[in-house]
Amino acid sequence: MLGAQVLGAQAPGAPTGRVTGTITTSAVGLAPMRVTIDPKVCGQQLPDHAIVVDGQGHLANAVVVLTGVKRQAAAEATITNDRCAFVPRVQIVRPNAAVKTTSKDPVLHTTSAQTANGRTLFNVALPIAGLTVTKAVGGTGTVRVSCNTHPWMRAWLVVTDEAAAISGADGRFAIDGVPPGSYDLRIWHESLTSAPQKVTVTAGKATEVSVRMK
Amino acid sequence: MAIPPLRYAAWRRLWTDEWSFPVDERLPHPAGTAPDSGDSRGKCCIVFGVTSLLLAAVLAIGEIATGQARATETGPTTIPEMWGAWCARCHAEDGTGQVSEPTITGVPMDFTDCAVTTREPDADWERAIAKGGSGVGLSPEMPGFEDSLTPAQIAGFVPHLRAFCRDTGWPSGNLNFPRPIITEKAFPEDEFLLLPAISHESEPASASATNVGLIAAYERRFGRRAMYEVSIPFYNWDFLTSRDSEIGDIAVALKYVAYASATTPRIVSFGLEATLPTGRLYKGFGKGTVVFEPYIAAGTMLRSWYVQGHGKVELPVDPLVDRAYLYNLYVGRDSSSAPDAWTLGVELNGENKQLWITPQIRKGLTATGALAASLGVSIPVKYQREKVVSWVGYLLWEFLEPLRARK
Repeated sequence: MLGAQVLGAQAPGAPTGRVTGTITTSAVGLAPMRVTIDPKVCGQQLPDHAIVVDGQGHLANAVVVLTGVKRQAAAEATITNDRCAFVPRVQIVRPNAAVKTTSKDPVLHTTSAQTANGRTLFNVALPIAGLTVTKAVGGTGTVRVSCNTHPWMRAWLVVTDEAAAISGADGRFAIDGVPPGSYDLRIWHESLTSAPQKVTVTAGKATEVSVRMK
Repeated sequence: MAIPPLRYAAWRRLWTDEWSFPVDERLPHPAGTAPDSGDSRGKCCIVFGVTSLLLAAVLAIGEIATGQARATETGPTTIPEMWGAWCARCHAEDGTGQVSEPTITGVPMDFTDCAVTTREPDADWERAIAKGGSGVGLSPEMPGFEDSLTPAQIAGFVPHLRAFCRDTGWPSGNLNFPRPIITEKAFPEDEFLLLPAISHESEPASASATNVGLIAAYERRFGRRAMYEVSIPFYNWDFLTSRDSEIGDIAVALKYVAYASATTPRIVSFGLEATLPTGRLYKGFGKGTVVFEPYIAAGTMLRSWYVQGHGKVELPVDPLVDRAYLYNLYVGRDSSSAPDAWTLGVELNGENKQLWITPQIRKGLTATGALAASLGVSIPVKYQREKVVSWVGYLLWEFLEPLRARK
């Protein structure tokens, strides 16, 4: 959340534009969770990152997808079990990407990945710290990652073959190398919703978008 | 159960002998359709249900690939310690699956229930631990440990798991061999079976005829070693001028495991089947008398080969009906240890002085093996009358096993 994650490469030779924007919400951050499982490792309470928003309403961890603009997202992602939280919370990967899961915690974690319709892609045990297991995700869609021994743990993989970006802690995102034209901008967040927006991209310019989620 | 496997022999005899006679002539050796028993291949289904989770527990064993050093430094080092640190989170320290603070939505099976813990072979448990619930058709909340434990480590958890059953009188699931089509299985099962048989004859002196039989059988375990079975045969026979469909002789049976040694491994069971005269005698669909059929069934492993044998005597109450002696021997092996593996086998099926050979193939149809099917062809080797080849098989449902993962 140090900054927006930008995906996408310039189409060779062709003039392109840029889509930037800010995602905001009227929702407020969630109260910390009280932890009773493995408190020596997890702590007595943990922040709830289901909604990460600053004082100005800037929303982090929202994913914007530019419909119709094909892109190759990351071929590999790493999910780390760190003090009973998945890090990072949200990632964008390409279809069939390799997902590495590892743990820093000396307790049993599991990394369970499920599609939006509930199909389990994999569920691996990480009984000791330092172990890394690599599994593949399938086709496009949203994959929920959870831990069977610490039910509050969540991470999300947005599997897409289109240009996409994740909003940073300041709510900002940017997608470069977009061919001129009109597109639908879809916005996904694990807890909030927003209708798609129309954006028109002009070569050599940045198109600014404001998205409010609720 | 006394399913009609052998009944195939009986049925075949009815078909070959009786069918050649006038339809109202008393059959020389009627054979009812009765059951044999059997059971499905053991591996199939891991009784585990949510059980899977237990696996988790299992994991712990020892050294693990990359993290081994850390595990030995700070983590549990013995199986009981690993069970307590990992598996007990869902399966409970005592194996009951009842924990004070559940972290999963499903309720793991109770491993102190011997019916759960004993009935499946080690390979099924090991596979569930390695692949996780979703890999074996069980609860996806059970994670897989194949990336964190060695096969030897995973295998080490199975005895710990089985030890939650305190009653040693239950036969081990390692004796739960795949069910042959005709040979009675020694291990008791909870299954529903459909056993079809199709015979076709084309004699120069007569028109061709195709006869169809189907036996529906229900097997249910009770107690530690016993099982009862009910089977109902249906026939559809070609009488040249018409086809008749009728119920044959209904059979009930009891089976008891008299000897079971998982280490040998050997299992011997005794059974008694009673065939009731519910089928019409003059049509050849029944024997017209009650027939008591004591039998013995046994199984063992020779290297990777299953060897199962079965012998029984048919003792009609009516002294005018001849006795019959049936004997079956099965040899087969699996393509893998998975519950949905292919199993190739061959049987020798004898009845009095007649003998058939029945090559067959079996396949688990679900990840747990709760559904399985087998197909074979019974070829006369030594026969008295027409040489009739029969297609035989079964479709079984081990109804205590989940067909797919529980959510």
